[in-house]
Amino acid sequence: MATTVTNIEKLVGKRIRRKEDPRLITGTATYVEDIKLPGMHHAVIVRSPHGAANIKGVDISKAAALPGVAAVFTGADITGVGSVVCGADLPGLRKPVHHILAQSRVYYVGHPVAVVVATDRYIAADGADLVEVDYEVTQAVTDPEKALAEGAPAVHPEWPDNKAFVFLQKGGDMEKAFADAEVVVKQRITSQRLVPNAMETRGVVADWLQAEHSLTLFTSTQIPHLARTILAGQLGIDENRVRVVAPEVGGGFGSKLNVYAEEALMGFISRKIGKPVKWIESRRENFLVTIHGRGHVDYFEIAAKRDGTILGLKLKLIQDLGAYHQLLTPAIPTLSVLMMPGLYNFRNIDAEVIGTFTNCVPTDAYRGAGRPEATHGIERMVDLLAAELNMDPAVIRFKNFVQPDQFPFPTATGLNYDSGDYGATLQKALDTIGYDDLRKQQAAARLEGRLMGIGISTYGELCAFGPSPATPAGGWESATVRVEPSGKVTIHTGTSPHGQGQETSFAQLAADELGVSMDDIVVLHGDTSVIPYGIGTFGSRNTAVGGPALFYALQDIKEKVKKFGKMLLKSENVVFENGKCTCQVSGKEVTFQTIAGAAYRAMQLPPDTDPGLVATKFWEPSNFAFPFGAHIIVSEVDRETGQIEIKRYVAVDDIGNQLNPLLVEGQVHGGAAQGLGQALWEHGIYDDNGQLMTGEFMDYAMPRASMMPWVECSHTTTPSPVNPLGVKGVGEAGTIGSTPAMVNSVMDALMPLGIRHLDMPLTPEKVWKAINGAA
Amino acid sequence: MKIAGSAQLPFSPERTYDLMQDPVLLAKAIPGCEALQKTGDDEYSLKMKMVLASLSGAFDGKVRLTEPDRPNSFRMVVEGSGKIGFMKGDGLLRLTPKDGGTEVAYEGDAQIGGTMAAVGNRMIDMTARMLIKRFFEKLSAEPAA
Repeated sequence: MATTVTNIEKLVGKRIRRKEDPRLITGTATYVEDIKLPGMHHAVIVRSPHGAANIKGVDISKAAALPGVAAVFTGADITGVGSVVCGADLPGLRKPVHHILAQSRVYYVGHPVAVVVATDRYIAADGADLVEVDYEVTQAVTDPEKALAEGAPAVHPEWPDNKAFVFLQKGGDMEKAFADAEVVVKQRITSQRLVPNAMETRGVVADWLQAEHSLTLFTSTQIPHLARTILAGQLGIDENRVRVVAPEVGGGFGSKLNVYAEEALMGFISRKIGKPVKWIESRRENFLVTIHGRGHVDYFEIAAKRDGTILGLKLKLIQDLGAYHQLLTPAIPTLSVLMMPGLYNFRNIDAEVIGTFTNCVPTDAYRGAGRPEATHGIERMVDLLAAELNMDPAVIRFKNFVQPDQFPFPTATGLNYDSGDYGATLQKALDTIGYDDLRKQQAAARLEGRLMGIGISTYGELCAFGPSPATPAGGWESATVRVEPSGKVTIHTGTSPHGQGQETSFAQLAADELGVSMDDIVVLHGDTSVIPYGIGTFGSRNTAVGGPALFYALQDIKEKVKKFGKMLLKSENVVFENGKCTCQVSGKEVTFQTIAGAAYRAMQLPPDTDPGLVATKFWEPSNFAFPFGAHIIVSEVDRETGQIEIKRYVAVDDIGNQLNPLLVEGQVHGGAAQGLGQALWEHGIYDDNGQLMTGEFMDYAMPRASMMPWVECSHTTTPSPVNPLGVKGVGEAGTIGSTPAMVNSVMDALMPLGIRHLDMPLTPEKVWKAINGAA
Repeated sequence: MKIAGSAQLPFSPERTYDLMQDPVLLAKAIPGCEALQKTGDDEYSLKMKMVLASLSGAFDGKVRLTEPDRPNSFRMVVEGSGKIGFMKGDGLLRLTPKDGGTEVAYEGDAQIGGTMAAVGNRMIDMTARMLIKRFFEKLSAEPAA
């Protein structure tokens, strides 16, 4: 194994390569698609090609007659199966009933209408082609602003205004803020639909055992336990007879923080046909039917004094929800408005969120989930205000930051920022990139007619979800430490890591606490039959919520180890350090491994102590964690082509303490790639009839490695007071910080041309048109 | 998607009009057409093979000719669906004498859906234009009377 560190050397804080990687890079990891069970059948889903239509009839006779087809199910067959669950709630929220197969109406292209089950996938696909669906096409609406217009087609006929909810977030005294304002800047800013595109598409294998009355379901998910609870409810099976396994999961980014129709559908089918059944989502299906991210149209107004002091921020947020709610759909824009104050010291907020139905696939959590949209809007508005006042964008930020002595800082939206020194972080980023000199270079470039831009974003985010009242399903996490008789250690975490690297970082933490080698530790996750109930992986919570749960379980183990140490060393004066209990009087030692053996052999037990060496902890934070940072991007725009070149990218993130800086950097780089993807290239576009026009990689511009700049990562460290590790969370920081830095950089480059704002993605075509006055 | 354009045919407007209503000739001229049958007054059913970027598949369709105004104009309504999606088109064709032949100007709307829309989008405009061009080229090759 790669780790040859001695027990004594502390591992937390070291750049240690992931224990997960050997299996991932040698192709020996097991994904859902790799699972083959005896007698397994395959399902292919018939989906609506229309954005809105009534189903006049479904003829399955030809499909059912095809040799090899075992069964065909339509909406009429799924009576008794619960509908797809939305876990979010808001006052007055309209929740359309979302059946796992369409009933009399389809609401979006890709809506499942029927499913063909056959002995192999090819036959199932041929069978799906033979299912004849008679559609009566009705008018669709895909643009959320058009959906809100008078006379728009109703996505759900029972709600002709297409509004799922209106959510208000107010704080302070906005009327006074605007009355006191010397300058008000307004801007419409969109945050376009994005397709998450995890490298592994979704997939499910369901295996019903009639004799046991139990269901095993392998699914590519970020939330195996929540999926089990929901699926047990949908299918009417006892929760303890449903086993959900998330095997290797090839990326989620929020798109697998969900329980989809296909998961219950496969459970239903396996039970019906008495055979295991597999469904693997194709890439085209993934584009069409796995949740999309973002989808905002925001109308911002910022009020300020002439000296740059921000007084308040107003927002009308139109959220494109899609046709119905997936697990958290309506909650995502409420996170945006929670984050509206950004890092700034103003107390007046007024936001109206209009959740709007459209004939599109639902939006839901996508890396950052609501915070990238908010941060992009705020950071654009701050830059627009700076431009209006002819102030340097760095100066206006310093002027408005919440100051270090103001923590804990209660925001106008009811949050309580835990800690930070925002000015120091921005200063470090400015120093790293050589800001003053860059502005001189920029002035010189402008004289030559070159379009050079420097873009700053100082983002704040809330993560480490979270206190339970603020999280739809409980905001705690669980950990079990199982010391085996040999002294080897097995850790169960209720999080469900899939690329975040907790098999490594949690092993580092446990190795330090117990004084054993990292190679003696195995971290297990993602199987509800093995792992105590957990919440799962999202919202940058693995380390910041799962980590403390593990930390406290380890403390319990250490206490018990010490009791055995005292007994074996026949002394009260015993310390447990570096994997040994040592009597401080005699100097005699007994190893952790010997103690583990003694705890299981149990020939003798310390007073009031049970045999064995296992501890489980459930831990909940008292608050979110609030990472922050400053990202600066230097770019140059080619006047002739509109092409954008990223010259430098400096990211200074404050995520509190770091268990493994290598993993942290990986998260920042990956997050930045996704954020730059939104700023420059990616856009999920529907036409007016509900057709997704960007349904493959030829039309949807996924960033590639060659398109990425090198991200110069560094940090400031303000430990979070919320948890014993002082960690905050970094899974989403890069996505949140990068997008506005990129857009601000390009807009800064275009400023001499009088171009004030462009909506993402900043494609060369769009930039060229703006330069040429045609936008 | 808007479709508009024009083609020059070496026939009189009357001859052009008649050619474009003749199922046998239409079957020959429509690219990928495998069968075309008259199913009613001014209504035809058709089977064609459609190739679009990486997609190909059989289409079952219907063609209806309405608003006849020989030899000046008629309207063509096309509907088809198959494994790779569906299409619907509706266009007015206007015939005017020009340079000793006839200019056919067409203008209409086309809608596509399903996999074709999601996957072939970039190619659809070009493909449609190419198919129309080929159609008129084939038609031009017919004898003048």
